[in-house]
Amino acid sequence: MTRRSKRFDAPLPVLEPAEQYAGQVLDARLHLLDRQVLDRDGVPVQVVDDLELSDVPFGESIPSETPAPVIESILSGPVLGTRIFGGRPPSSRFHRVSWDRIAEIGIAIHLGVAGSTLDVTWVERWVRDRIISRIPGGHHDPE
Amino acid sequence: MKRVLGVALGVLTAIGGFLDIGDLVTNAVVGSRFGLSLAWVVLVGVVGICLFAQMSGRVAAVSGRATFEIIRERLGPKAGLANLSASFLINLLTLTAEIGGIALALQLASSVSPGLWIPVAAFAVWLVIWRVKFSIMENVTGLVGLCLIVFAVALFLLGPDWSKLAEQAFAPSVPGSESAGAYWYYAVALFGAAMTPYEVFFFSSGAVEEKWTKKDIGQSRINVLVGFPLGGVLSVAIAACATIVLLPRGIEVSSLSQIVLPVAEAGGKLAVAFVIVGIVAATFGAALETTLSSGYTLAQFFGWSWGKFRKPEAARFHVAMIVCLLVGLAVLVTGVDPILVTEYSVVFSAIALPLTYLPILIVANDEQYMGDARNGRVTNAFALVYLVIILVASIAAIPLMILTGAGA
Repeated sequence: MTRRSKRFDAPLPVLEPAEQYAGQVLDARLHLLDRQVLDRDGVPVQVVDDLELSDVPFGESIPSETPAPVIESILSGPVLGTRIFGGRPPSSRFHRVSWDRIAEIGIAIHLGVAGSTLDVTWVERWVRDRIISRIPGGHHDPE
Repeated sequence: MKRVLGVALGVLTAIGGFLDIGDLVTNAVVGSRFGLSLAWVVLVGVVGICLFAQMSGRVAAVSGRATFEIIRERLGPKAGLANLSASFLINLLTLTAEIGGIALALQLASSVSPGLWIPVAAFAVWLVIWRVKFSIMENVTGLVGLCLIVFAVALFLLGPDWSKLAEQAFAPSVPGSESAGAYWYYAVALFGAAMTPYEVFFFSSGAVEEKWTKKDIGQSRINVLVGFPLGGVLSVAIAACATIVLLPRGIEVSSLSQIVLPVAEAGGKLAVAFVIVGIVAATFGAALETTLSSGYTLAQFFGWSWGKFRKPEAARFHVAMIVCLLVGLAVLVTGVDPILVTEYSVVFSAIALPLTYLPILIVANDEQYMGDARNGRVTNAFALVYLVIILVASIAAIPLMILTGAGA
């Protein structure tokens, strides 16, 4: 396995398996990271660059009744360099798609919303509005 | 009836679409230097591309995921990015060679210098990608490319000594005038020309563009299994023509006019007209495919929306293709010889083959992606044999290139 991100590199504490799995079991590396994300209409939106978990306090003892962290959002950002060479961009550099927007996880991750409503597609929209639509014929599909 | 026509059209476009500038140049060079003693490599290459294209088409039809999405998903960002860089650069090299090929063919027809045709060719390629529907683009270039059958006709008109040709082809040996190193270097080049990786990017992404489903697998299998071998027969015909006309006179192929020389000798002006139309169509079709492939690889790796069928929604994809065409144009404008670019592009294609082949093979066996359309035992047995062949060709390519001074 290649080193993915700091978040997953920390030595993992030995965990007791949960009593009851409620549904599909996902391996973050195998089933989520680097998967293609499609919007409501099947248009590609992003690739899952990283995941954001709910806050786990660092360096403090965790009370035994604390609920397990959950995935809050899938991230897209300038992480290609950092995932290869290490390090981590500041969290403000990421675009987040909230976990509750996800409709289905299969061999691609399907969102329940239109891609155009998400911040993560702003570059696509910018290129479309500033470059592509200024070329004659850029407003519609090929005949 | 409509179904029969559909199958016939698919097979014919697969034949016409099989050949590109790499096949034309490499087969003619090989024929003029080694006769038909390397014809077996074309056979090995054709079986390989059938296996490989069929597998990637099936993966795309069943899972809806194209090759480079799978490469990143399976290999992760580090190996995936290394793979993208290599595949993308080699694809760009092939794109450059194809545009140069269009310009050289138009030069034969018009006597206007290729330097003037190169921008026209690049612009025409972009215009077709920008305006023409995917299926029309594929069918027209494939069908017009069938004009290259004139190489097979020329072979009969030249009336060769068939038994001598058969002896070269079926009992191959290194000709006395050539070194073993050069023989194996051109074996790798010919293998790379038959199995260029862009055909796989294009085939799998094209399956998504044309919205293939499981129902279309049968049709695509016929196209590939009938069309590509017949394309391979044309490749051998090009080599055979060069064997008969160029080899005895010691003519070395260094330009397109030498490649068409046997056709001119056999069939005169009319045959030359056909062969020029055929070369323009074949290189134009391949230029379209490599340009689209450059957009496909980038967009699929980075998760951008892509596809000719969604222009306004796939803005970055279209900009990427425009940039790639401009880069190819810039390389050609320096006056570099397109034939030389082609010779290097086929060898580098052979080097890059394992990068795309392995992830496809893994995913074609993945139950989550493929369900019950996974590879069968026979396919996997063939696939493993080819994995070895591809690895050997890939590893041997650079040492052979250095040892022989690129086949000199």
